[in-house]
Amino acid sequence: MNAFKLWYHKLGSPPYFYVFAGYIQPWLWTIAIVLALLGLYGGLVLAPPDALQGDAFRIIFVHVPAAWMSLFVYGVMAVSAFIAVIWRPKMAEVLAMESAPIGAAFTLIALITGSLWGKPMWGTYWTWDARLTSELVLFFIYLGIIGLYHAFDDPRQGARAASFLAMIGAVNLPIVHYSVVWWNTLHQGTTVRYFGPSSIAPSMLWPLLLMTIAAKFYYGASLMGRSRVALLDRERGKDWVADEVRGGDVHG
Amino acid sequence: MLPVLYAIIVATLFPFALGPEHALLARIAGGVVLVTVLLAMLLALDNVFRGDLDDGALEQMLLSPQPLSVLLAARMLAYWLVTALPLLLVAPILAYMLGLQPAVQPVLLLALLLATPLLALLGIVLTALTAGTRRSGMLLSLMLLPLAVPIVIFAAGAVGAAQQGLPWIAPLAWLAAALALALVLAPLACATALRIALDT
Amino acid sequence: MDRFLAMGGFAMYVWPAYAAFFVILAGDVLATVLRRRRVLRELRGRLARQGPRRRPRTSA
Repeated sequence: MNAFKLWYHKLGSPPYFYVFAGYIQPWLWTIAIVLALLGLYGGLVLAPPDALQGDAFRIIFVHVPAAWMSLFVYGVMAVSAFIAVIWRPKMAEVLAMESAPIGAAFTLIALITGSLWGKPMWGTYWTWDARLTSELVLFFIYLGIIGLYHAFDDPRQGARAASFLAMIGAVNLPIVHYSVVWWNTLHQGTTVRYFGPSSIAPSMLWPLLLMTIAAKFYYGASLMGRSRVALLDRERGKDWVADEVRGGDVHG
Repeated sequence: MLPVLYAIIVATLFPFALGPEHALLARIAGGVVLVTVLLAMLLALDNVFRGDLDDGALEQMLLSPQPLSVLLAARMLAYWLVTALPLLLVAPILAYMLGLQPAVQPVLLLALLLATPLLALLGIVLTALTAGTRRSGMLLSLMLLPLAVPIVIFAAGAVGAAQQGLPWIAPLAWLAAALALALVLAPLACATALRIALDT
Repeated sequence: MDRFLAMGGFAMYVWPAYAAFFVILAGDVLATVLRRRRVLRELRGRLARQGPRRRPRTSA
């Protein structure tokens, strides 16, 4: 326990985190790529076409991981943001702010793939379905956080303000989802279930899980890369940055 | 008075865009008035702290011995009285011009009575967050509108339900509960936001 | 292979979805790489300007 605590506090120091992130980043990349290749093979080649949807269901292997990640990244960002606002450690600010663009990217993917899936299934690219609508609102919330962060000249101040917004958004997201679902039933919504509860075939399930885990590792890898650059940028006056720039590791 | 004028202009544009067909306008009247009021409030939001920030009054508030959240609560009340109250007065007229059934008018007014303070509280917290930045107009809408979605849905949902003769109490009860919560939390959140944005 | 690419007639939905997934994530990676290059270039410029003055202080 004590060793873990010590390690946790060390990780809060930018130079140590920089080295640590640089060390684990290639591993995260490798795992993400291997799992994604296996998942793609299982999903695109091995899994048989769906009885109802034909081959169109194969969009699930990119849509569902992206949709899950859009919420997962928000969760990670909100926790870091909470820590950043309350205790103000530099690393929590960096992690929260570098998570936001990745989360926005996953949300955009979920929106695009969702509407591409909607066309053959519902006959239209866009419908005000509860899930698509919530995802669109989530995308705007991400954009607001990123925009607020960049509106400040001082990145630390911007990070703290945007972190506070991320916390407000975290409180609001369940309310948004609940209200959108209610609104959808009120107006006899067009909600179509992609698949019934637990009727998902194992041949479909394992590639889906692999793609989801691959997306999580991708998030880790991208977050490490982004945080390293952000640290170099923020700590530009410090000696460890000067050593890093003079040293060999400049291409990574 | 500018927000009121803005609301009247926006609401007037709808019949021109959609045609003067009475049934259509009557159906969308509640929603149009709600969205118009929201946009008009957004227009005035940018100026809430602008003057105080420029003449240094905001720094005085931060340093004053009174709790900041109490001062900000007074600020929020003033904003609601100045911006939302005139809008509440013209909203029934706009709704009538758009052809909303008279029986639904009280529901619309009640929905606005609950939704406008909520929007004011939420909006001022977000405005406080942008206080340290130079240009914030567009950013503020990007920040506020997604968070305002539930308010719009419940307020418009109540009006829509009343139009169809369905029970409309539940969504308004949700708004009232949210308002009660926001009345307590928003001044505190606003104080925190202001301290973050001005870095004190 | 042709049958695989045709995706049972849904090729025009399935492949753009996969393309969107990978293109957007590649954009995320590319943005980081470009930002890293820019930051390092700036930092090297700063060091080159300050280098001679700074060196003795850091070694002391």
